[in-house]
Amino acid sequence: MTDYEFTLKFSLPNPEAEPDQYIEALAAAGCDDALIGIGQSGRIALDFTRTAGSAFGAISSALRDVRRAIPKAVLVEASPDFVGLTDVADIAGFTRQNMRKLMIGNMSTFPVAVHEGKPALWHLATILTWLNEQQQRAVDGALLEVATTNMALNIAKETRKLPGAILPKKLASLFA
Amino acid sequence: MARKPHPKAEIEAALKYAEEQGWRIDIGGSHAWGKMYCPYNDGSCRCGEFCIASIWSTPRNAENHARQIRRVVNNCTSHRGRIHAPGEKS
Repeated sequence: MTDYEFTLKFSLPNPEAEPDQYIEALAAAGCDDALIGIGQSGRIALDFTRTAGSAFGAISSALRDVRRAIPKAVLVEASPDFVGLTDVADIAGFTRQNMRKLMIGNMSTFPVAVHEGKPALWHLATILTWLNEQQQRAVDGALLEVATTNMALNIAKETRKLPGAILPKKLASLFA
Repeated sequence: MARKPHPKAEIEAALKYAEEQGWRIDIGGSHAWGKMYCPYNDGSCRCGEFCIASIWSTPRNAENHARQIRRVVNNCTSHRGRIHAPGEKS
């Protein structure tokens, strides 16, 4: 069993509702391994440290628990997944400047960004995999597993907006 | 400050750390022991949803919960460049 750290952010069915009722429902549904943030109206975020056999097991059970507590909560984002260079530098233990150098010096193999704006955004899993495979750097296994699962979850969430799209069964079950 | 201490020592230490960084702690709730409020809870706040966070009285794992509290404080203050004490970096 491993401790997996991840954050799930949801939009709430009724932004006017008193957040305390949601907190009590989340406690009853088994989310007492998460720190709950209620600082933005209409949103609730849960910073989980969940012990499970796999990151997918941890994240899928957390999603189910939240749905049981707040049936109409809609997933906004699972993190860590979308990251800018500064985030990656923090995670990998580089300065931002060094991370930038590493990227610019390896443009041919560096993962393509999801969005090339200011800031540019990547899926964390693609960069961790690159650091590990192309740069022979040690990468936290649990973090890579979480980032990979979150990427699948966030992509699946968007894919559901495509008319006629069919998700792999394992991912579809997360939105049932 | 005559605040009632949290029954779990690790969590109380994390709450004291939050207070040193200017966070306000309010007690109340049933499963929840209380809430912590970011000192910059305004338009320029960088902690987003976690600038108000709920603290459990009996979390599944007190050590993990304490780490979560410190992480919220550090994510907030590190962006402000205002870390006074060497806190935990996740």
